[in-house]
Amino acid sequence: MSTVSEEVIRLENVVKIYRVGEVVTYGLRGVSFSVRRGELISIMGPSGSGKSTLLNMIGLLDRPTKGKIYLDSIDVSKLSDRQLAYIRNRKIGFVFQQFNLINRLTVLENIELPLIARGIPRHQRIPLAVKALLSVGGDKSWLRKRPNQLSGGQQQRVAIARAIVGSPEIILADEPTGNLDRASSKIVMETFLKLNEQGQTIIIVTHDPEVANCTRKIYLLRDGKIAGIVDPDPSKCIINTV
Amino acid sequence: MNITFLFDALRLALKALTERRLRAILTIIGIAIGPIALVTMSSVVRGYSNYVTSQLEALGQNLIVVQSTGNYRLSEDDVDALKKIPGVKRVEPYYMIKATIKIGAENEDIIAYAVPIDLIFEAMSGLKILEGSIPSQTEIIKVVIGYDIAFDENGNQVYYVGDTITLTIYKVEEGGKVSIKRVNVLVAGILDKFGGAFFLSPDRTVFLSPDAGKKLLGLKDWSGILVLASNSKLVLPIEQEIREMYHGNVDVISFQGIAKVINSITGAMDFITFSTSLAAFAVAIAGVAATMITSVIERIREIGVMKAVGFTNNQVLFMILAESLVMSIIGGGIGITLGVIGAYILASKGFTIKAGTTTVVISAPPAITPELILNTIGIVVLVGIIGGIFPAYRAAKIPPAVALRYE
Repeated sequence: MSTVSEEVIRLENVVKIYRVGEVVTYGLRGVSFSVRRGELISIMGPSGSGKSTLLNMIGLLDRPTKGKIYLDSIDVSKLSDRQLAYIRNRKIGFVFQQFNLINRLTVLENIELPLIARGIPRHQRIPLAVKALLSVGGDKSWLRKRPNQLSGGQQQRVAIARAIVGSPEIILADEPTGNLDRASSKIVMETFLKLNEQGQTIIIVTHDPEVANCTRKIYLLRDGKIAGIVDPDPSKCIINTV
Repeated sequence: MNITFLFDALRLALKALTERRLRAILTIIGIAIGPIALVTMSSVVRGYSNYVTSQLEALGQNLIVVQSTGNYRLSEDDVDALKKIPGVKRVEPYYMIKATIKIGAENEDIIAYAVPIDLIFEAMSGLKILEGSIPSQTEIIKVVIGYDIAFDENGNQVYYVGDTITLTIYKVEEGGKVSIKRVNVLVAGILDKFGGAFFLSPDRTVFLSPDAGKKLLGLKDWSGILVLASNSKLVLPIEQEIREMYHGNVDVISFQGIAKVINSITGAMDFITFSTSLAAFAVAIAGVAATMITSVIERIREIGVMKAVGFTNNQVLFMILAESLVMSIIGGGIGITLGVIGAYILASKGFTIKAGTTTVVISAPPAITPELILNTIGIVVLVGIIGGIFPAYRAAKIPPAVALRYE
């Protein structure tokens, strides 16, 4: 396990309210917690508990209605769209349940996307993309393929490679095994554990206890609030079960 | 956004278009119609305009023709009055009548022009004697004939210097009776080929001395008076002064004035062509917008992913705009190419003007100028920008969390 050090993320009483006409829905009802560099945590909760909303807030994809979010001690709640895009590009890597790879692009181009946004020339991007793919257990033969020519597990590893290619501070994974069979889920979780051992901060949103038990801390979310923090049982981690 | 990103955006735009090939091709066809219409029509109209203008200029930049209208009879008094106008170099009355002449096996219509021939040479700089010489004004039976009279359509010479030719003149007398007059004249000189002159064709003209008009052709009244200005810049003021002198009793024609009128007509035609093409461009804008809106809707989730990995709103806007720009540039390229081909095909048919029995065929290459091509490219780029800007703006403004949830 890596050394746990300073805070990467801190949420202070974050509230998210959705308004559709006169209907008001609470996504988050005052969430406060922090994540330290090198941590691997999971957020669990039933459907509608606010897991994805919380991940969107941490990932700067959405703005809180109230409260503050600090990323590397910077208050990001009031930053412009452009500044948020800059931080997402440099400090955050996303992994989605649906992989969200672009099928008309090759695997290589998909992994390169964050570097394209950064304006890095192709000859510098390619070695970084190849390194990222190999570090998640991918194969060079995938590079010229289209994502839909790969299995689900392989696609998710490509998505993880895309998330880490820009050397982000933190990886946010939203139900990363939700679309995978058990064998592929194991591989994906092994990949996350390996990255975490190398010092990568990772937050995983899941409803699967076997996934949550692979992390170092489980936050339970209910009705838009943190209902508790649970220590995982590593023996029930998907990697250690039959 | 740096240069690397711009190139990457264009490359990704091309990939996106190849994915939706049929839709892109149909949109490109829609875009190409405007440039085809604009390049074809504008270049042909401008080509004809240039041709007519150059022909008129060759006919005499300094020449003004005064012809009587109605009952007004031109006389020596008019010649004296015209000579007094400042800037007038020379004033000569002339006779002109239509005649027929046998050229090879055919009887063909020609124009008999009784005028001091040296004046014609002075006014029309391109005119040259091919054979023989210009007869003196006292040698009334000696004439100079145009190239197309001396040579038949196959290029065989049918009249030589020293030959006698017969001019047949049909005249409608008072009471409607038609009289036929045959006049034999002697060829003293043959003109070199002048080319397809527009109003007056020296190639199909017999030039006689002024006295021959009265004595040989039997013409009583002058057909008109030729006024030669000392400087081409004085032509229009002199023309204006003559008009004011005669209050509509004479027609005053200068080739420069006609050129000006034709230029204004072709300018108007050019404007109409341009306006018509704009309609095609407007349709193209709608086509591009429809294609790009559909494309954006289909890719909202993809746009969400791009934003999640750090693309800024401006980068997303440029990427979508790059697609419409690539389509419009390809469409423009195809349209301009087809427009150039179409212009050459259209111009090769020629443009026929029929006035009574006279038929003039204008055949001129299309005027494909860098200005026309650059303007067309400019409009086509605008089509891409205008058609793509709204969908691109919409894509750029989608909140990333909303885009990622989009099904």
